[in-house]
Amino acid sequence: MIRRWKLVPYEKKKQVYGLMFVFPWILGFILFFLKPMIVSFKYAFQNLEMTPQGLKGAYVGLDNFKYALYKDPAFIREGVNSLVNMLYSVPLIIVYSLFVAVLLKNKFRGRGLMRAVSFLPVIIASGVLMQILKEDVFSQGMRGGVESVYLFSGGGLDGVLTELGFGQQLIGVFNNVISRIFDLTWRSGVQVLLFLAGLHTIPDYLYESSSLEGARKWEQFWKITLPMLTPMMLLNIVYTIIDTFTDYGNGVILMIYNAAFSQVRFGYSSAMAWMYCLAIAVFLGVVYLFLKKRIVYLQD
Amino acid sequence: MNEMLRNRLSKRTKKLIISTLRFIVFAALGYQLLYPLIYMLSMSLRAPADALDPSVIWIPKTFTLSNFTDALRVMDFWGAFKNSLFIGLGCGILDVLSCAFVAYGFARFKFPLSNVLFGLVILTLVIPVQTIILPMYADMKYFDGFGIMKLVSAVTGGPDSVSLVGSYTSFYLPSLLGLGLRSGLYIFIFRQFFKGMPVELEDAAYMDGAGPFKTFFRVMLPNAKNSIITVFLFSFVWHWNEYYLSNLLLGNLKKNFAIALSSLRVDLQSVVNVQTISDPLAVVTRIQAGALLAILPLFILYLLTQRYFTESIEHVGIK
Repeated sequence: MIRRWKLVPYEKKKQVYGLMFVFPWILGFILFFLKPMIVSFKYAFQNLEMTPQGLKGAYVGLDNFKYALYKDPAFIREGVNSLVNMLYSVPLIIVYSLFVAVLLKNKFRGRGLMRAVSFLPVIIASGVLMQILKEDVFSQGMRGGVESVYLFSGGGLDGVLTELGFGQQLIGVFNNVISRIFDLTWRSGVQVLLFLAGLHTIPDYLYESSSLEGARKWEQFWKITLPMLTPMMLLNIVYTIIDTFTDYGNGVILMIYNAAFSQVRFGYSSAMAWMYCLAIAVFLGVVYLFLKKRIVYLQD
Repeated sequence: MNEMLRNRLSKRTKKLIISTLRFIVFAALGYQLLYPLIYMLSMSLRAPADALDPSVIWIPKTFTLSNFTDALRVMDFWGAFKNSLFIGLGCGILDVLSCAFVAYGFARFKFPLSNVLFGLVILTLVIPVQTIILPMYADMKYFDGFGIMKLVSAVTGGPDSVSLVGSYTSFYLPSLLGLGLRSGLYIFIFRQFFKGMPVELEDAAYMDGAGPFKTFFRVMLPNAKNSIITVFLFSFVWHWNEYYLSNLLLGNLKKNFAIALSSLRVDLQSVVNVQTISDPLAVVTRIQAGALLAILPLFILYLLTQRYFTESIEHVGIK
């Protein structure tokens, strides 16, 4: 047996080793992902009901899907909302976190403290705690009891912009961006962290040799920093898109969850979840294909 | 001479302007990020009467610790702490091991369907937990381990399934197989890292006669310290805060902080109603105290590791 293994060509051996490394994941994928997915796919075509004997359902064809697309007024609206929301926030979060990461990279007094503060959202801003904070802190801020939590409240700016002759639509976009700034800082902890880690992987000799050649800081940023950060950029973009789509406060996610656990319409919930997932998967696929060619690895 | 002096002066002013701007940006940022924490602290130290008094800004009129003692009791702090800690630590360690192992396979080996499989890794990230949470619950409730238990029970006549609901195993098992909470992201992080490592390192190990597994554990994993710390912290924190999964998989008997926090308002109200006053506003300060207590362990962990953690970001690659 061992002797025969030694005769196997190197390339074949590497394939087998690769599969061995990935094997635990394949096992987990079948057990904890594929199987539940298939079951939930089956649910999507049934009208399931809780009966004393357990879950019972009959095949109803495409009824659940049709209901979501044509009858339920909320599904399409919430879906479009979360798409628009994503289109706003992903570029903003990426640019913002890159900006902060670049600021945090170089040495200055108090850098350690600022870093620690910047990563705070990684710890706090998820799940139930954020919900409590939103209910309490943010509503307090809105009530005006305490000073507003929005550093840049869009209220006063409205008038100024209209005076300056901007279109109503443009102002809407502008306001939207501004009112999201708070939300933004709280959702970009992970991204700042990943970018900072990425910045530190760029070898110093690239900067040294380029400054010997007479490159300025500005040029260095566009020609060295940005290309070298592209792998991290891809990771961050993918992460941010997913995070926005599957956020706890996301309208569609709430609909899916409520349909299953408060209205007990498991079939309908599964149908909505399936359509939503497909939409996200297609969107991510397009983004990935678009970015794939622009990624630079130091090895290549 | 004069020109040199002016040059130096302008350089100095430029530096001053830059550091002033940086200070302003960071001051604004720090304010935004610290605001909720200060708010929680300020609220939790107030007597209930101060909570909605508009004349109280930040510093309460009467300091009290009773909010904390109440929250400690109502939340069952130590029980929740134990559960959260076991889940966080166990899943953190398992996630690091399994995801690094799998990611190495994806980063360095070409095998049939490897790209398709990696696409599926990303897919697991994209699918919201809510889609599969119901069938997953059924799987955990009647866990038969790939049908192995069914076979055994056919021979020996034992039970054909075990219920993993309410035990830590229901969290550990998916993490062990690289399919825990957001494991796809960890695989992605490790893969990016391993891809960036020089191939010469492994070639040298192979030349010395080490197999791929030995190379991975002896050469690659020790060098991935930075990614390991990042993934561990992420996994720990996210498991600590996860609500939907813990609510379903821990069952009614066990509570962790996410569940305790989410039901804190109701719990507090029922206790308050019985004991003192039926004013719902009296709950506000105690909720903040409870929330502060729930993140306190995370906060302490962060304070302890942040130095190591923020510094480790810089020491990437090979030393």
